[in-house]
Amino acid sequence: MTAFGYLFGKELRGVFLQPIAWVLLAVFLLVMGYTFATGLALTKTAALSRVVFQAATLLLLLIPLVTMRLLAEERRHGTLEMLLATPVREPQIVLAKFAASMTLVVAMLAPTVVYPLVLAFFGQPEWGPIYSGYVGLLLLASLLSAMGLALSALTSNQVVAATLALGLSLLLWMIDTLSAVLPAPWDELFLHVSLLARFTPFATGAMYLSDAGFFISGTLFALFCAVRALARD
Amino acid sequence: MLEGVGFEIARGEVLGLLGPNGAGKSTCLRLLTGYLTPTRGWATLVGHDVTHAGPAARRHLGYVPEDPRLYPYLTVEEILRLFARLKECSPASVAGECERVCEQLALNAVRRLAVAKLSRGFRQRVAIAIALLGAPPLLILDEPTNGLDPWQVIELRELVQTLSAHHAIIVTSHVLSEIERIAARAIFLCEGRLLGEYVIERDRPGELERQFLAITRAPS
Repeated sequence: MTAFGYLFGKELRGVFLQPIAWVLLAVFLLVMGYTFATGLALTKTAALSRVVFQAATLLLLLIPLVTMRLLAEERRHGTLEMLLATPVREPQIVLAKFAASMTLVVAMLAPTVVYPLVLAFFGQPEWGPIYSGYVGLLLLASLLSAMGLALSALTSNQVVAATLALGLSLLLWMIDTLSAVLPAPWDELFLHVSLLARFTPFATGAMYLSDAGFFISGTLFALFCAVRALARD
Repeated sequence: MLEGVGFEIARGEVLGLLGPNGAGKSTCLRLLTGYLTPTRGWATLVGHDVTHAGPAARRHLGYVPEDPRLYPYLTVEEILRLFARLKECSPASVAGECERVCEQLALNAVRRLAVAKLSRGFRQRVAIAIALLGAPPLLILDEPTNGLDPWQVIELRELVQTLSAHHAIIVTSHVLSEIERIAARAIFLCEGRLLGEYVIERDRPGELERQFLAITRAPS
């Protein structure tokens, strides 16, 4: 196994051996199940866009709780000092933590695949918005995870890391409302960086390369910041 | 802050790094391990600059921080395998390296135990075992006797003496008598500056303490 494989294995155990991972998983699935069941009963349509938006909102709230401990805990417990005294490079540490965080997100989303299967059993859902919805959720989760990781690298206090990540995520989610009150060209700027504005096309079945590019480049930038923050001392 | 601190150490030598609290001992060690980056100056390990060629320099380094914390959810075996790979032991040699350090540190009895279940003394041994993985030429031990009982202190002293045959060892401690027993040379730091150096004479017990007091209390 490669050094990255060992690091990833350690991170996975660190994530899944904590009760918080299982609590988050349970809460996510409970709320998602409730949303799916009540939405289906009320609208009686074979569509998942409501569920996809609900999942996005939940990821916005829950991912900071996943990422808060990733680097802050290592810094507080002093394990980071031993890790950084080895020839391992900072990007490997950050990527292993990012991959572990995304594994938890995938574990949260995977059981929700049952919903489109239920819709397909009883009706004829439009598959395009469902596929694009899941792609959008993964892209959004990757950006949120990378941002949370970068903020976790800045502090040794997990609560501070979680609060900063939550604040930044919520701000970026709804920053498009600023475009309504600002004159051109500033209105366009805030619309372009709004997570909600970038995510909505995915949830409604329209996938644009520019939106995917925004999430991917944002993720890479946040991971770069995490690497720099890790090496800042 | 460190200012004008310079020293060399060769394989087979144990160097004591002494100074009062806040003298800059841990900062000095963290600069050598690459955890801190110097604003000015340089340090090399086996010819590699620790700032500009960090990974290459750290290949030659084994580090035991003061109060080493390990991942509590991993077993001793798992943590040794993890660090063996991080220290660039080849996949084929990982098992052999873990075997070797477990034998050397008498860790075989606890290999399958989670780190969280180990006593302070065993955790210290695991940290030293990690430092020894890959047989680096330089070992850095920051306050290694902190929190150990007298038996463990004696064991550690014997271990350092054994290791000194094949490694260069930098050790910090507040216990001057310990340094006097295990080190060949001591350097004194105070307020981030190197105040002096003393070649330890084993036949003059207590002399290190006198030198330490004379040097660190002298007006600068």
